[in-house]
Amino acid sequence: MGASLANTPWGVLVILLPLAGALVCFLWPRRSVPLGLVTALGVVACVAGLGWQVAEQGVQRYAVGGWGAPLGIDLYADGLSLLMLMMTALVGLGISVYSSGYFDRKTATVFWSLWLFLWAALNALFLSADIFNLYVTLELMGLAAVALVALAGGADALIAAMRYLLVSLLGSLFYLLGVALLYHSVGSVDIAILAQQVEPLPAVWAAVGLMSAGLLLKTALFPLHFWLPPAHASAPAPVSALLSALVVKASFYILLRLWLEIFSPGDAAVGQLLGLLGASAVLWGGIQALRQTRLKLLIAYSTVAQLGYLFLAFPLGTSVAWKGALYLLFSHALAKAAMFMSAGNILRCCGHDRIADLDRVARRLPLTLTAFTLAGISSMGLPPSGGFTGKWMLLDAALYSGQWWWALTLILGGLLAAAYVFKVVGYAFTPAEVTHEVSRVPARMEWTALVLALAAVLLGLFTPWPLALLDIGLPFGGGYAG
Amino acid sequence: MNWDSSLLLLILATSLLPGLVIFFLPEERVALRTTLNMAGAVVKLVLVGVVIWGVLHGHYYESRLPLLPGGLDLVLHADAESVLFVTLSTVLWLVTTVYAIGYLEGSHHRSRFFGFFSLCVTATVGVALAGNMITFLLFYELLTLSTYPLIVHRETEEARQAGRIYLRYTIAGGALLLVGTVWLYDVAGAFEFTHRGVLAGLDDADRTVLTAIFVLLIAGLGVKAALVPLHGWLPRAMVAPAPVSALLHAVAVVKAGAFGIVRVVDDVYGVEFAASLGVTGPLAVVAATTIIYGSLRALFQDNLKRRLAYSTVSQVSYIVLGIAVVGPIATIGGLVHLVHQGVMKITLFFCAGNLAETLGIHKVSDMNGVGRRMPWTMAAFTVGALGMIGVPPLAGFITKWYLGLGALDAGQDWVILVLAGSSLLNAGYFLPVLYAAWFKAPPDAWPAERAYGRSETAWALLLPPVVTALLTLAVGLLASAPFSPLQWARFITTQEYAP
Amino acid sequence: MNATLSVLLLSVPGLPLLLAFPALRSRLSRPCYLALLPAVILLVVPAAFSIEVPWLLFGTGLGIDGASRWLLAMSVVLWAVAASLLHAPAGQAVDNRLTVFFLLTMAAHLGAILATDVVGFFVTSSLLGYGFYGLLVAGGDAAARRAGRVYLGFMIVADLILFEALLIAAANTGDLDFEAVRHAMAQSPASGWYVSMVLAGFALKAGIWPLHFWLPLTFRSVRPAVALLLGGVPVAIALLGMVRWLPLGEITFPDLGVGIQWLGLAAAIYGTVVGLVQSHPRALLAYAGVVVTSLFIMLLGSGLEESLTGYAIQGAAHLFILYLGITLAALVAGSMLAEKVTARSALLVTGRRMGALLLVLSPMMILFLFWISAGGDPQLADSWMVAVWSWTVCTTLLALRWLYLLRPGQQQEISSPAPMIPPGDLWSILERWFSRGSRWIMSMGLQVLPRWRASVLAVASCLLQVRVWQKALDAGERSLQSWSLAVTLLLLLGIAIALLST
Repeated sequence: MGASLANTPWGVLVILLPLAGALVCFLWPRRSVPLGLVTALGVVACVAGLGWQVAEQGVQRYAVGGWGAPLGIDLYADGLSLLMLMMTALVGLGISVYSSGYFDRKTATVFWSLWLFLWAALNALFLSADIFNLYVTLELMGLAAVALVALAGGADALIAAMRYLLVSLLGSLFYLLGVALLYHSVGSVDIAILAQQVEPLPAVWAAVGLMSAGLLLKTALFPLHFWLPPAHASAPAPVSALLSALVVKASFYILLRLWLEIFSPGDAAVGQLLGLLGASAVLWGGIQALRQTRLKLLIAYSTVAQLGYLFLAFPLGTSVAWKGALYLLFSHALAKAAMFMSAGNILRCCGHDRIADLDRVARRLPLTLTAFTLAGISSMGLPPSGGFTGKWMLLDAALYSGQWWWALTLILGGLLAAAYVFKVVGYAFTPAEVTHEVSRVPARMEWTALVLALAAVLLGLFTPWPLALLDIGLPFGGGYAG
Repeated sequence: MNWDSSLLLLILATSLLPGLVIFFLPEERVALRTTLNMAGAVVKLVLVGVVIWGVLHGHYYESRLPLLPGGLDLVLHADAESVLFVTLSTVLWLVTTVYAIGYLEGSHHRSRFFGFFSLCVTATVGVALAGNMITFLLFYELLTLSTYPLIVHRETEEARQAGRIYLRYTIAGGALLLVGTVWLYDVAGAFEFTHRGVLAGLDDADRTVLTAIFVLLIAGLGVKAALVPLHGWLPRAMVAPAPVSALLHAVAVVKAGAFGIVRVVDDVYGVEFAASLGVTGPLAVVAATTIIYGSLRALFQDNLKRRLAYSTVSQVSYIVLGIAVVGPIATIGGLVHLVHQGVMKITLFFCAGNLAETLGIHKVSDMNGVGRRMPWTMAAFTVGALGMIGVPPLAGFITKWYLGLGALDAGQDWVILVLAGSSLLNAGYFLPVLYAAWFKAPPDAWPAERAYGRSETAWALLLPPVVTALLTLAVGLLASAPFSPLQWARFITTQEYAP
Repeated sequence: MNATLSVLLLSVPGLPLLLAFPALRSRLSRPCYLALLPAVILLVVPAAFSIEVPWLLFGTGLGIDGASRWLLAMSVVLWAVAASLLHAPAGQAVDNRLTVFFLLTMAAHLGAILATDVVGFFVTSSLLGYGFYGLLVAGGDAAARRAGRVYLGFMIVADLILFEALLIAAANTGDLDFEAVRHAMAQSPASGWYVSMVLAGFALKAGIWPLHFWLPLTFRSVRPAVALLLGGVPVAIALLGMVRWLPLGEITFPDLGVGIQWLGLAAAIYGTVVGLVQSHPRALLAYAGVVVTSLFIMLLGSGLEESLTGYAIQGAAHLFILYLGITLAALVAGSMLAEKVTARSALLVTGRRMGALLLVLSPMMILFLFWISAGGDPQLADSWMVAVWSWTVCTTLLALRWLYLLRPGQQQEISSPAPMIPPGDLWSILERWFSRGSRWIMSMGLQVLPRWRASVLAVASCLLQVRVWQKALDAGERSLQSWSLAVTLLLLLGIAIALLST
């Protein structure tokens, strides 16, 4: 039994299962909710299996269909991919349970197939071993995401979805151009081969520029973040959650892979540029979030700010810095999903999400508010939470290398996050002048938000295991060295 | 998991677990909630007693959990200083729980209140038992988070504003503390609190860097310890219910900041090393400024709780002053004031709460003749107020004695002037209150009177201030008895200074 | 036997303290007398002994010897008489507050007499001040409250000064017994500070010129029972403190001593002059007290100047304090009875004349005591004899005026004061300055400074809220959303990265 478990191609299963689930939900729309939930659980089990496999046996590489690189498609699972997969699995499970209570019959049928399809695309993206495969999965994911944004209907959602589509296509286009240039210079699309054979040619530089620009657009780094707030705010709550938590991270993951494997890490100038843009994102996003009057827009701008943190690891370039950024990524995924779910709960309960009119929502939805606060704690980087661990590690790296200005950015970002989170919490405790009709919120929606937020906090208490996981495959080098 | 390592975790659990359970109790289950609260408090007291006995007999209590890479663990450790603070917190928590049960009789959201109340105490005990800076930081921030809902408990616009200002100060302070801590670990590697400090033994440490780290740490801690000019949140936080003000100002938040400063100066830097860096002089000046400024502001307040708040600002800096005046006697004075100020201030706040709750009195100008209507409460208030002024043989006198003697011993005679000025100012703002209460004629009707039958107020509101007033008297009168806070502070100081 | 004596010593101050709680004495009929019982028992026990109480404060003690026995006796008598006057014959219920303060002050007073170390003495004299304040004010009128305020202010400042002196003493010696402190301070470099502070502090407490202001105020405005105690309780304890704390004889301060002697002389002149113009008999007594204490001060000064005199004063002082207390009490009793009893009784007249005689003889008395204490051969300077005679003149004048004021025909004038010098003399002037100053401070604190602060904060919040910021942020965000700008930025970013990675 153990041996057969060890030999199952969990990586392939992780992609195929949600794909099959999407198909089934499309074919049997009446049963989409239970089918979707079963699939979600199955995917989580597969990821667990893959994790166990990687932990026992080290880095995994599958050749799909028996065709290896450079001709066939390879799937590559190391610590980094596994972390992303785990993040997707946890958040995905939460979103699935939440959606089972959120959507009405009609929308649910469409939602489940799209969502499972997106999940499959995400999993495939995280396991891809060559850059063209990355493009394909990125596109598929983007299209599914656009469709999900438009799910809510209404003019706002459609405009936002349109803009999102254009941006997505533009970004992918730039990326594809870069892939073409690289393929032209090196002759292969496999990442491992590229890592060995890439040379500093003008074509390669141009490819770097194009691919980075496209990916930065898709990751919504300042100043290319304009599309994110409208898209994430006008989508239904579970869609916003998966967009902010998962979709945006996918392009970051690709950038990270390319940066670590192919483009020589420790390139000071580009790193500083990225860091600068990240710092600006942190500050701009934070200030804009503070100014918002609607809850979902606030959370969306908060995503812009938190994504900026991730880019602070580029100028620092040490193993501690990367791990810190990834820890932030993981906890942000959990926390942001929880925040959007809380916003959805409040919207369902009160009929609006104006912050100043929250009118003692703390009484009616205590679990939701707790979830929001715990998620906020992780966003602020207060102990004990995953956000704190990530922030600590980045601070450590910044002070160690003497680049104290990034430390300042981290602190300011934390203060801004505290300001806007507690603005909402404060209003949630006080009465408003305008009262509103109150509707019931299903228990599973509140509990999902709370569980995800708790996971973000617990991530701060159980740190050795995820950090050890990142060491498998060692894409970061050791210790403080680059 | 043997007894020694799990005892400290149990102490934390005795308030954490009841708190979590209380969150989910419906409002009507008063008896169950009361039982959980009281049981938790009593069990915690018993366990702390076990720890005291153990520490005296040389037991080593420690609990560990890996937290961050680089060898940084979450460490809970009981040494003599922790025991001082933990005992204070536990005893005063018990008393405040009784008071809170009486005070909030019939209010809304008691489950929420007592849940966060328990979390707050857990955080305080964690601060006391922290064995290294990262653990301290963790529980310090937890304290901020768990006290916020207590401040906004009343759910008014004023409460929201007060909470906002509170957070503004404390989260900024926490950020400064975080940067200082990360930098410190960068410079010194992973270390734990040790007597006589750790940094003196570093060979290649840059003194400018160490001074900068010190400034960051003290600024971060000084927000909670209400050092001027970081004290602005304290008077605003008075909008909270009286048990919250009592707990915040006597036990939890303010003391955590002061305790943190004690830890940094004594167990991270080491007093003599800090003096050689030249940082203790400015710290003493800041503390002295706070003492005088706080007392001056208190003179002009008509609202009773705000007057007491500024008095707290002033009094907590005695602790900082005691630490900053380098010398064993002054350190004893500072440490013992940790306990003394706690019992005195909590008495005063309990009495203020009684006056507000029973008679609707919030201002000093409404307090004429209240001594006749509520003699026991005002007697307790008198004891607390006289203790603050430094009238012998109450607790404040003991502190001022040691601080003054320590200042003379260390050659810092100006401190005596500060102490004298502070006593004079304290007399200036406490004695008129006492005079009005005891010797002026009462008005025809109190602002908002509630009748309690023949007794002056509910027994749950009356018993705690009387108990703490007796404690004030006892720690002063019996200062040389074994197991008094003074003897314990002496014990701590012998370990800190080289023989 | 030892244990019984210890309990007895402890209960002398302890019993009044316990009885001060209303709950504990509600069933007792005459608590004030009951509280004096242990003291009376102690008086009849012949031995002189002391006990250590190490767990109290910093380790203190109580003890009784020959000198303090006399003082104890005086106090018992005074308190008993005052207690009987408190229990008003008209049958009114005595104010509860008054009894509380009465017993507290009694406890503090007895404790101070029995104290064997400086800390214990300080604690009890401090409590004495607060308790006596309560006695002055409880159930009194506006004048009594004013007197009480002044008294309390002086006591607080005195306590502060004495506390500093105490710290200096503690810094110089670990053992805080009177003997040890005197000995250590005699050899310490800080002895000058110590002596000045002790003198200043106890001068405030004793009402010695020129810090005497509270004395006339209180003599005039408080109820007779309390005025009786004035001489024997606060003044006596303060003078006792001076004697016990100062290292007389072991160290000399010639300049200081001479200065103090001149001060004493000035005090005597002032007291006589002002006292003679008083029209209220009890106010006059205050100045009589000033004159008598000035004599004591003069003696102290000479003791600081020369060490043999110092030793002699140690011995004489206790009895002089006793004499002072009895004299003042008797005089007060005399004027008080005059207020109550209008009949011209021979006994009363004789009694008053006796009281006046006591006053007149006080300088002689102190000389006599001094002569005995110095062993019969005092080496007195001629200036001494001059001093004694001049003081006697002063006291005689005062005594005669007092008798004049108490003539039967003068009864109706007592109630109509209109003195030329207001009660509290110089204090009235100072008080006006003080109240003006405190009003200015209050207005600064309550209006001016908050106004400044509010305007600064308004400016700051104005800056933060300026619409320009809001508009700028909005405009920035909107501009970033325009496609042309976005694509331009995208291209620029790509180019920048490409260039930078070369």
